[in-house]
Amino acid sequence: MDLKTVMNSPAMWIASSIMIIVVIIQSILFFRMAVIEANHIGLERRRWLAGMRAAMVTAVGPSLSPVVILIALIAVLGAPTTWMRMNDIGAARTELAMSALAVKVYGVDMRSAAFDLKAFAYAVWGMAINNAGWMMVTLFLTHRMSNAEKTLSEKSDAAWVKLLMVGAMLGLFGFLWSGQLISGMDKVFAGAAAAVTMLAISHLFKSYPRLQELALGIAMLVGMFATAALF
Amino acid sequence: MNSGADYNDKVIRLGIITTVAGLVANFIPAGYLAMIGVSPSLEDIVRILIVAATAFGVGWIVQPLSFYSLLGAGGSYIAWLCGNVADIRAPAATMAQKAADAEPGTKEGEIMTTIGIASSVFVSVTIITLFTFVGAHIVPILPKFVTKAFGYILPAVFGAVYVELAGKNLKVGLGTIILAVIISWGSKVVGIPGWLVTILIILAGIVVARIVYTLEKR
Repeated sequence: MDLKTVMNSPAMWIASSIMIIVVIIQSILFFRMAVIEANHIGLERRRWLAGMRAAMVTAVGPSLSPVVILIALIAVLGAPTTWMRMNDIGAARTELAMSALAVKVYGVDMRSAAFDLKAFAYAVWGMAINNAGWMMVTLFLTHRMSNAEKTLSEKSDAAWVKLLMVGAMLGLFGFLWSGQLISGMDKVFAGAAAAVTMLAISHLFKSYPRLQELALGIAMLVGMFATAALF
Repeated sequence: MNSGADYNDKVIRLGIITTVAGLVANFIPAGYLAMIGVSPSLEDIVRILIVAATAFGVGWIVQPLSFYSLLGAGGSYIAWLCGNVADIRAPAATMAQKAADAEPGTKEGEIMTTIGIASSVFVSVTIITLFTFVGAHIVPILPKFVTKAFGYILPAVFGAVYVELAGKNLKVGLGTIILAVIISWGSKVVGIPGWLVTILIILAGIVVARIVYTLEKR
């Protein structure tokens, strides 16, 4: 059996599509459950629809950004595997790194002529095992976190728990942003331009709710394109 | 009224069922290859597991924990199956709360993160599927300016999300980013691993929040 025929075969497409189907069904079910609960607690349809639109607009830009690496992955791993792995857990760079590590166990290199069908199987196993790590942790930790959160808010001052959550979120995004802030003036500029745009939309145009939904999308575009133009 | 508890239980039940389904789906291509007779030996599968745990094991544990306060239970189950948590799911959750005028840490806030993250999945799956089929034709004709701009998407997203979150409490926001930059820069100089830097900066955020809380209470 030859690598190129197997990795792009109809059977491989079918095997890979199961994950996409699970991902889509999961989101539909959670969406439905959240909307029913929204109606139940009196969160108006107008408001959750606005939130839904804002989330969808926000997702467009970051979903487009991995297209370049996506094309590179298709060349090495075939379209079905790339399609599946770009739609599940594990960033494109992580999938590529894990494939390379697994193929090394077999004893060849990713982009070499020695990358055969067996090496491909090693890459597929590597990504499956790595992605299973996040899923297992989610499976075992999420309900425990949910219970811990409940206990915490019952036992402590509500105002403090709220501020604690804000502190944890700011710490997390502070970590993500600061990693960018220390890696070059161009990245400092991109982040600052997007941040200023976001602030401007939030404060100067407060009375335009439709514009608020687009705020992050616009801020992102300003940050990206202004930096590409200036650096 | 115990609808609060009911909803939480339902979220966790659905989360467990769909995550188990995801775990099964995750191994189907590997299983298919084994069926047609191509597979690593059991010994090599164990080796791959060791390599994966060494390279990414800390991330498996630290990431779901660090994002929990932002994603909530429902959002966590979705986000850790479909991925792109920092660059797509967290921004979508933040914007869903903002546009619906729902506060984080409340019931409304949690419902909005779930709605926002689920909606973002519909968008990202559509776009990635489209590009899997036509990307090879489109990417080469994109102007260089556009592909260069894609390289700046992460700092732009993180900067914009940060100021949005900082709007909840300006003092904590300002204090945390200053500490974050100092810790990130210091860790780079000293050579502290990334997962430890994540924990340190999240703790810094919590400490700043505690200080602000104590000062304002007085």
